[in-house]
Amino acid sequence: MMGFVINIVQMLLLVLAAPLLRGIISKLKAWIQKRQGASVWRPYANLWKLFHKEELVPNTATLIFRSAPVVAFAATVVAAAFLPVLHPAAFLTLDGDIFLFVYLLAIGRFAMSLGALDGGSSFGGMGSSREALVAALAEAPLFLVLTALAILARTGSLSEIAAWTIRQNFFDVSTVHLLALAALAIVAVAETGRIPVDNPTTHLELTMIHEAMVLEYSGPSLALIEWSQAIKLNLLATLMIGLFAPWGMSLTVTPLGLAAALGTYALKLACLVIGLAVVESSVAKLRMYAVPDFLRVASALAILAVIFTAITKR
Amino acid sequence: MIGLLLILFLSSLLFLAVFAGLAGQGRWTRAFVPGFLICSLLLGLGIAGSCFLNGRTINLDYSGHLPFALGLSMDRLSGFFLLLICGLGIPVALFSASYAEHYTRANWKWYWSLVALFILSMVLVVVASTIFAFMVGWELMTLLSAGLILIEGDGEDRRRSLFLYLVMMHAGAAAVFASFLLFVPYAPALTLAAMRAAAGSLPAHLRVVIFLLSFAGFGMKAGLVPLHFWLPKAHGIAPSPVSALMSAVMLKIAIYGFIRLTFDILGTPQIWWGYLIVVVGIVTAVLGILYALAEHTLKRLLAYSSVENIGLIFVALGLALIFEARGLPILAALSLTAALFHTLNHALFKGLLFLGAGAVKHTTGTLDIEELGGLLPRLPGIGISFLIGCAAIAGLPLLNGFVSEWLIFKSLLHGSVLEPDPAVPLLIGAVALTSALACACFVKLYGITFLGRPRSDAAKYVVAAPENMNLALVMIAAACILFGVHPGVALHPLSVLAGTMIPNPTSPPEIASISRMMPLVAAAIALLVIVVLLLRKPASRSVNTWACGLPGLTGRMQYTATSFSKPLRSVFAAVYRPERKMDLEPPDEPYFPVNISYRSVRTTSFEKTLYRPIVDGVVAVARQLRRLHTGNIQTYLLYIFLVILSLLVVLRFA
Repeated sequence: MMGFVINIVQMLLLVLAAPLLRGIISKLKAWIQKRQGASVWRPYANLWKLFHKEELVPNTATLIFRSAPVVAFAATVVAAAFLPVLHPAAFLTLDGDIFLFVYLLAIGRFAMSLGALDGGSSFGGMGSSREALVAALAEAPLFLVLTALAILARTGSLSEIAAWTIRQNFFDVSTVHLLALAALAIVAVAETGRIPVDNPTTHLELTMIHEAMVLEYSGPSLALIEWSQAIKLNLLATLMIGLFAPWGMSLTVTPLGLAAALGTYALKLACLVIGLAVVESSVAKLRMYAVPDFLRVASALAILAVIFTAITKR
Repeated sequence: MIGLLLILFLSSLLFLAVFAGLAGQGRWTRAFVPGFLICSLLLGLGIAGSCFLNGRTINLDYSGHLPFALGLSMDRLSGFFLLLICGLGIPVALFSASYAEHYTRANWKWYWSLVALFILSMVLVVVASTIFAFMVGWELMTLLSAGLILIEGDGEDRRRSLFLYLVMMHAGAAAVFASFLLFVPYAPALTLAAMRAAAGSLPAHLRVVIFLLSFAGFGMKAGLVPLHFWLPKAHGIAPSPVSALMSAVMLKIAIYGFIRLTFDILGTPQIWWGYLIVVVGIVTAVLGILYALAEHTLKRLLAYSSVENIGLIFVALGLALIFEARGLPILAALSLTAALFHTLNHALFKGLLFLGAGAVKHTTGTLDIEELGGLLPRLPGIGISFLIGCAAIAGLPLLNGFVSEWLIFKSLLHGSVLEPDPAVPLLIGAVALTSALACACFVKLYGITFLGRPRSDAAKYVVAAPENMNLALVMIAAACILFGVHPGVALHPLSVLAGTMIPNPTSPPEIASISRMMPLVAAAIALLVIVVLLLRKPASRSVNTWACGLPGLTGRMQYTATSFSKPLRSVFAAVYRPERKMDLEPPDEPYFPVNISYRSVRTTSFEKTLYRPIVDGVVAVARQLRRLHTGNIQTYLLYIFLVILSLLVVLRFA
């Protein structure tokens, strides 16, 4: 029973703390750039404002336009139910949920790409075409990374992989994990639309990908989109933590253990966020046609990770 | 009793073919023919269901009473494929009732007559228990579909495509027939039962030859790369309901033949058979979807996507063979179930999409997606069902395509945990790439065709879709949702079916686990959607799309299908090898041209490097052989004399 409650709590944590994560990243970037920066709670205020604004819908748009953000949001939240955060178990688990998790995120992308085309302007089409490019090239390395870890742990469930990793020695670093982590980092950057693949703050038509897709959205729909994006970033960060550094997760359901687990989780998340802020402040966005090369690096690393599983397995 | 019903079913189809050909064409006939076809297909559905779900078997043998070996039999496997034929036949018949309305009298007769016979021929293949009946059905299937293609005109292009189709189908049939004939010394009766009994005593090298021949023959019919060449040509020009039948059902008949021969009759495979099939399958899948991505004609795009899905089915079949050869029956059953379920799913969503393409053609008059756009508000029923089809084929959860793809991934994952070599896990990457490209491809197809603004008057002023068409599409879309949300309905009987061909102790655990998980995920997503919809402010204001401050946007300012797929096409340029040609007019004034024409022709490398030499070789041989035909009667008499003489010599010494 207690475990069930924790599963729900950790899922809500992923969903509700997501805007905070975005706020922290912006704050860190501001500090690095010697600016004051907005409050870390700003994304919540922003969501509140957007949820209460009037929504403007292009006159060509059909019901797809307004339902896409809702579907994307729902699918992203359900994907959160599969991730282990505080202890190596999740609200929903399935042997093979690594594939289900990725496909749930794909629902959101599919819906948003159609919503973008529904606006009837060329920006939407441009965004959705570029998103299709990034997604198509990022999907294979993502699957390969998950497969490599699943082969090592001999299970296809995210929580079971986390549970297996906890049992391993922390200092016994394997090549597979290093390669897979590098590949997953690149894929995560591409999937969440951060620099150097995409810039979430740009509105320059030559470069924008995700922002071009959502250009026509406003009001509550835009709020849902921004929130889903924040959740997605949180999900991929937590996925990296769960797969590569789950140590600290509470194995027993005690208040102390859970508090410690929450603390270590926040610490690990902070490391990732600082890394992202530093990268985003120091690297320029790639040209559109250099992005495939960047993702090819991820593919190559992921393929190597899979090959190394065959070598290290026995 | 059920045997009699089967006979009744077959004869009702035959009756309908004759009736449609002979009857007049009052309103009564026009309603009666589709209605009767649907009724007899419902009868077939009942028979199929009782064989597939309850395991009833039928065995009828008329060989003793007839000059040829005609026998009919049904088991779970035939039941499943009969279910596909009848299940898809019903919406197709319903759809055709409206689609064929604009045909001339003669064409209308031909259409219904041939459709009934075409369905009959496919039914004959799956219920045949003798090779004679099987091959008759197999050949008729090709010829009748070719006849149906000719109904919508026989211009030069269509004839060429049709000729290619017939040539390749006959080459395939020859390979299939040869693989059956190799059984003759061991099973002279050439019935399925006799061949199954004799399979154990076949020498090893013969088994290999039989396997390879059947793989080539059935693979050609199914459209495996590099034998897929005919498929987009033939499926692209057939009347849309017929394309639906060809893509959704006829390709599956080839899968039936392959499963019947390899899993049911031959059994005990070797590991490399599995690897061969998996490699061919994955190449087919990746190339198929890449070609689909570059297509901008609705039906050709769908045809290439069929190539992709056939590839995925063969990947699963190959894995099943690998696991069976390794002595892992539970995993083999899992992969075979995945293959069968994907067969079912592809039949559903591809039937849906081809019928949707037919509806688009019927209401707008064009299949070129660059001319379309904004169809969803104009054709809501078609548009929503088509969306479900697109999402299902892209493999999104809550729809049937996801479940079978998940099963394929799971089989591959099992394979990677067990296999010592890294080739199998790398396949997961390839399948993931395929599925991501499919997602992009169907976003393009749906977004450009149904969303945004109309790109031409054809798309702007559409006629309303007839109710029949809406109903036919909604029926299939409902099935896609049912099998996606509650896959257990189909998966449990399918795993029993897989168990009949691979003796395994227990059903794979994945069947139960995914059947439990999908309703949960569906409920969670539905709940969240409802909550958000209830909380969200319903009010919204309709405004003009932002046009950077300019007065207004037109349909031509939107992204086109070509521009949508451009980034991916340039990444995979090595596959496409487009030939671009730009002409400036006048040629000596590069800076002030009057006229610029640009052409980009994509000929697949297969055409150049594989087919052209073969065709040239055949033509060269034919040219040499032509020398024998002098037209001189004395020469022909000499040939006859020489043949008789050599026969006598051979018979004397042999």
